Amino acid sequence: MADRDTTGEGATPDAGGASAEDTAPRESWQIGASHRKVDAMERMRGVTRYTDDLKLPGLLHCKIKRSPHAHANIVSMDTSKAMAMEGVFAVVTGKDFPIPYGVIPWTPDENALCVEKVCHVGDGVAAVAAADEDTANAAIDLIEVEYEVLPAYYDPQDALAEDAVSINPWSRKGNNLSKDVVLEFGDPDAAIEGADLVVRGDYHFEGTTHAAIEPHCAVASVEPGSGVLTVWSATQVSHYLHRELAKVLEVPAHRIRVIQPPLGGAFGGKSEPFDLEFCVAKLSMMTGRPVKCLYTREEVFYSHRGRHPMKMSYETGFSKDGKITGVASRTFLDGGAYSSFGLVTTYYSGQLLCAPYDFPAYRFHSTRAYTNKPACGPKRGHGSVQPRFAMEIQLDKAAEQLGLDPIDLRRRNHIGSDRATINGLMVGSNGFLDCLGSVERRSGWVTRRPALGYGRGLGIAGSTYISGTNYPIYPNEMPQAAVQICLDRSGRARVFSGANDIGQGSNTMLAVITSEELGLPLEDIRVLSADSDLCPVDLGAYSSRITLMVGNACLDAAKKLRRKVCGAVAKRWEVPRKRVTLAGRRAIDIEDPERNVPLAEAFQWAEADHGLLGETGSYNTPKDRHGSYRGGTIGASPAYSFTAHLAEVDVDDETGVVSVERIWCAHDCGRALSRKIVEGQIEGSSYMGFGEAIMEEHLVDGAHSGVHAGPNLLDYRIPTSVDTPDIEAIIVEAPDAQGPYGAKEAGEGPLHSSIPAIANAIYDAVGVRLDRLPFSPPRVLAAIEERKAREASGELAPHKGNPGDEKRSA
Amino acid sequence: MAQPRLLQLRINGASHHVAAPSHWTLLEVLRYELDLIGTKQGCDKGDCGACTVQVDGHPVLSCLTLACQAQGRAVQTVEGLGFSSPSGCHPLQDAFDRYDAAQCGFCTPGILMSAHAMIERLRRPVTRDEAKEGIAGNLCRCTGYTKIIDAIVDASERVFGEAGAATASGEAVTHG
Amino acid sequence: MLRLPQFGIETPSTVEDAVRLLKTPGARVVAGGTDILPNLKHLLDTPPVLVSLAAVSALREVKVEEGALVIGAAVTLTEVSEHPLVREHAPSLAEAAGLVAGPLHRNMGTLGGNVNLDVRCRYVNQTKFWRDALGGGCLKSEGNVCFVVPKGRNCVAALSADTVPVLVSLDATFDLVGGEAPRSTAAQDYYRADGIHHIVKEPEELMIAIRIPVATTPRRATYTKWSVRRSIDFPLVSAAIRFDLDEDSSHGVITAAKVVVGVLNPRPRVVGRLDDVIGKKLSDPAVARIVSEAVHKQCKPLENVPYEAPYRRSMLRVLTRRAVRGLAR
Repeated sequence: MADRDTTGEGATPDAGGASAEDTAPRESWQIGASHRKVDAMERMRGVTRYTDDLKLPGLLHCKIKRSPHAHANIVSMDTSKAMAMEGVFAVVTGKDFPIPYGVIPWTPDENALCVEKVCHVGDGVAAVAAADEDTANAAIDLIEVEYEVLPAYYDPQDALAEDAVSINPWSRKGNNLSKDVVLEFGDPDAAIEGADLVVRGDYHFEGTTHAAIEPHCAVASVEPGSGVLTVWSATQVSHYLHRELAKVLEVPAHRIRVIQPPLGGAFGGKSEPFDLEFCVAKLSMMTGRPVKCLYTREEVFYSHRGRHPMKMSYETGFSKDGKITGVASRTFLDGGAYSSFGLVTTYYSGQLLCAPYDFPAYRFHSTRAYTNKPACGPKRGHGSVQPRFAMEIQLDKAAEQLGLDPIDLRRRNHIGSDRATINGLMVGSNGFLDCLGSVERRSGWVTRRPALGYGRGLGIAGSTYISGTNYPIYPNEMPQAAVQICLDRSGRARVFSGANDIGQGSNTMLAVITSEELGLPLEDIRVLSADSDLCPVDLGAYSSRITLMVGNACLDAAKKLRRKVCGAVAKRWEVPRKRVTLAGRRAIDIEDPERNVPLAEAFQWAEADHGLLGETGSYNTPKDRHGSYRGGTIGASPAYSFTAHLAEVDVDDETGVVSVERIWCAHDCGRALSRKIVEGQIEGSSYMGFGEAIMEEHLVDGAHSGVHAGPNLLDYRIPTSVDTPDIEAIIVEAPDAQGPYGAKEAGEGPLHSSIPAIANAIYDAVGVRLDRLPFSPPRVLAAIEERKAREASGELAPHKGNPGDEKRSA
Repeated sequence: MAQPRLLQLRINGASHHVAAPSHWTLLEVLRYELDLIGTKQGCDKGDCGACTVQVDGHPVLSCLTLACQAQGRAVQTVEGLGFSSPSGCHPLQDAFDRYDAAQCGFCTPGILMSAHAMIERLRRPVTRDEAKEGIAGNLCRCTGYTKIIDAIVDASERVFGEAGAATASGEAVTHG
Repeated sequence: MLRLPQFGIETPSTVEDAVRLLKTPGARVVAGGTDILPNLKHLLDTPPVLVSLAAVSALREVKVEEGALVIGAAVTLTEVSEHPLVREHAPSLAEAAGLVAGPLHRNMGTLGGNVNLDVRCRYVNQTKFWRDALGGGCLKSEGNVCFVVPKGRNCVAALSADTVPVLVSLDATFDLVGGEAPRSTAAQDYYRADGIHHIVKEPEELMIAIRIPVATTPRRATYTKWSVRRSIDFPLVSAAIRFDLDEDSSHGVITAAKVVVGVLNPRPRVVGRLDDVIGKKLSDPAVARIVSEAVHKQCKPLENVPYEAPYRRSMLRVLTRRAVRGLAR
């Protein structure tokens, strides 16, 4: 495969059966350019139909009745009054969905609606289908539920107490333990004991949520006669939804069609089935009418699956010259009421920390507990954003204590490329040093950092992330991604892919690859995605897998077609196939560019030679890139991205208000297939991390019956345009042999280091360590005042010669 | 169900007669009665700006505007934004497209309506700070606003700058 | 989508018709809709009918008349913030109006609406479902307890309107019609310490204008606000400051001072004991100290809005000190 070989790393899976002429290097005409996205203009014209925009005749509206209690047994439920109401067509309860499900097959621990007990405020207990929303709302008010209230737990360690009442009805472990992972590599205790410097710290990452602007929505319809059930859902994992629908509804998967309409953002918040999809499906099957459920914003907060709150204790050993000698961590994860992806999260909280720094000894012990809160799950940068916060502050503390430049300290620990991490994950390409160098230069770190006065600071952090997981969520030997491409004799291509474009631009990525290989401009390519009747299976938009995996599958199919088309042209020109290339809507003789034909004609020649032009492409992951221990496959990825963040902050030492002035984010994405899209992912990730650092906090109020602290977009504040710093996205390219044209992920990695970079910049500005998120003004001010008291007592020297209280307000 | 009232609304230059209950918002009438689905619903109650439309040229939240309060006013939605351009696409939409300023695109119609009202009011190239202020009531969760601001500044320069509308679009970007 | 409850709607085109329609028991006014409609979506009220001011053009005038700046109650906050007469005669009001929520709210929301904005509380402004989960609401909704002041019998929801402290500081009066007789009420007397009925306006009365006496001496006034975000949010800390001077200069001598603080409880707090600043030059550093210490001493925020009350109290001190210094520049 030509472009892989340009990386000079040789060995590639021979997915496409590439022949010699395919491997000859050639100039890209699309890869690395900026593109108008294939589906953006229709969104901007307001004609794209998202799920809530679907119109079906006879549509009924579904509303879900939810628990007002954080923890209670359901003693009885009476739906008769609701059922008798005019305009109500059907009512379902937990008894209609006795089969439990879970996105992770090993932890099926939730029902579509609660059966015997409720586990958090907002847990669904019943649903109605009615002629309109007002009637549906009135009907759920008529459903009478008698509860027996149980003690509720809002802290993982409280929930793990021996005498705690068990929360999750399907939990088999007891004591509210959801998952416990201890993995040890080398001898971390000895490494830390023998270190020149040991840094210890406790960190608390409060949970955050995705807050995609589009609320969850699902529509279901049953075809009379065939009985085929169609479910349209604002999901980012059509295939897992498909599987769980089949399981819970006891309908064979081939009689279910799952369609993901264009999606209004997801960020991990739509990456598993939710109650609404099961409810609309069942209610449609019962009534024979199409049924829709659109969550209110409040319900979006109850569905959650956001970032786990984590309490983390870290010990990191260093040698005098700043090399990490060992890392040991103890982490409690607050899982909420259900497992969600929690098994994976628990592993990720330790497994994904072993790059970009090299260290010879490591132990992590992570314990996930059930609590009476909305379930936590995957949010952009799943599982590793929280420990990255701890890790990078530990490094910053060490740099200070050892008198080293924090960037220099990170360079000294660089893990490099083509080698295994301490926990056995195989790192391929690695552009981390370039990332560090880029942000160092662009920010003026070397000269500006020492010159910035009290209240102003620069902070650095680094990180890594996976480009998909080597193993799918359910074990199977089928490809992880597949794409089908058909060429039309008019000179067009149709690309069929199961991948979920959630706004990240994956449809455009497929068009770019198809364009690169087949010479068609993007507007001649139609990408049809995420319809289970039309498209091959794809596993979905999670773990930053699509560019690498679906991109490779697409490349495979496109190369097969390219060979057929070039071959047909070469035959007619009586030249070797390698002399023919496809670009700019033409087939061209490389040695005599004057000789060329329109692609449509070339396609017609190829169709005459081969019959209808359609090819499939598949991709499967390498299975030899992880350690051979239990859990060693979790965190294993074909390729790893790298990021360096540098933040500049202004801290008001009288109010504790932190203004993030500017963020430089350099991200090694392997190869940018479409530059502006990659920049957009870097900017969006930086923004999201900034919001988590400064203002976001997904809180459940244990002192007030376990209500959410404010389940709406006024109380859960996400930054506006006037709050957001200028973000400078810097693309670093260290092509990876595993990725299409060398590409790795860009959608999640750039979030990780944003938060510790801001924390470290605050330290540089005012000399206080923020070990708890978010860095809200009261918290920052309290830390500043504590430091000032210690300065006043002579315990500490004034930070950066802080002249005192009155200076900045003068 | 409450008694529907007959409303006469002027939307994107066309007159519409629609029967809607008194408690329906303009957003609901646009989306569910007139099938003008470009106007989006995100937060239920005026916190996100996805439902922004223009009423008499001012960007407002259609989720907090009762449908009957829009009677006698000129309502403009994103669907009408390109009506004045022969290409069917307003220079703002073109700039958003070139900059990849829409990721999921769900907040985009609302942001376009705010941005359009701002550049029409100022009628000159806007600064980045002005662009930020102009969309300060519209939440975007995907982009970090960077490319949105780039696109607004660019479009305002193309429409109202010295080069004016004569500048062709898309030179730096592979269109195909 | 979170639904509005059902109600009828009237769209009068004159003040007289609006007043007549407001006599329907339970009728409520809707102008911009940015306060009442979310509250209705939260089922904090279920009026049988709303009287819309959208077509009442008489309430949209701004003029100077008989020594007062008169702003129609239905003038939008955007218009208030930009109007040349407001900027000339009441710049701190223009400033505050321009800081309300976000630009979309300001294009819709009216000055009358902001003046009559219902008081807010973290335990009130949520859905009916949420309040049920909390335990059945509180004094201000459907319950009979207070979550802010345990065992409290008086609702202490927070006055959250940005323009109110300013209007009180400028000695504004509010023109009301529809009661037994038209009346004018001083802004300072308009608000009560009872979050259930925090304004003296009767339900059948309609506010038609806000009247601000034009200053007869040089004056410097400002508004300071803290919210987490720079847009969309309600204030968490809010104060209006006004100094009358003998000459329009930072070295002018203060002849009168008025400082008004919001977001404490249902009532704006007029800060007392500022006599020490009278006779001092505005540029005298003591002025900022005296004002900010008086504010800090007299104003005690409650846990009725997010972020800890002690923090907000210390913020009041810092922000008022800075605001005074800003005026002295």
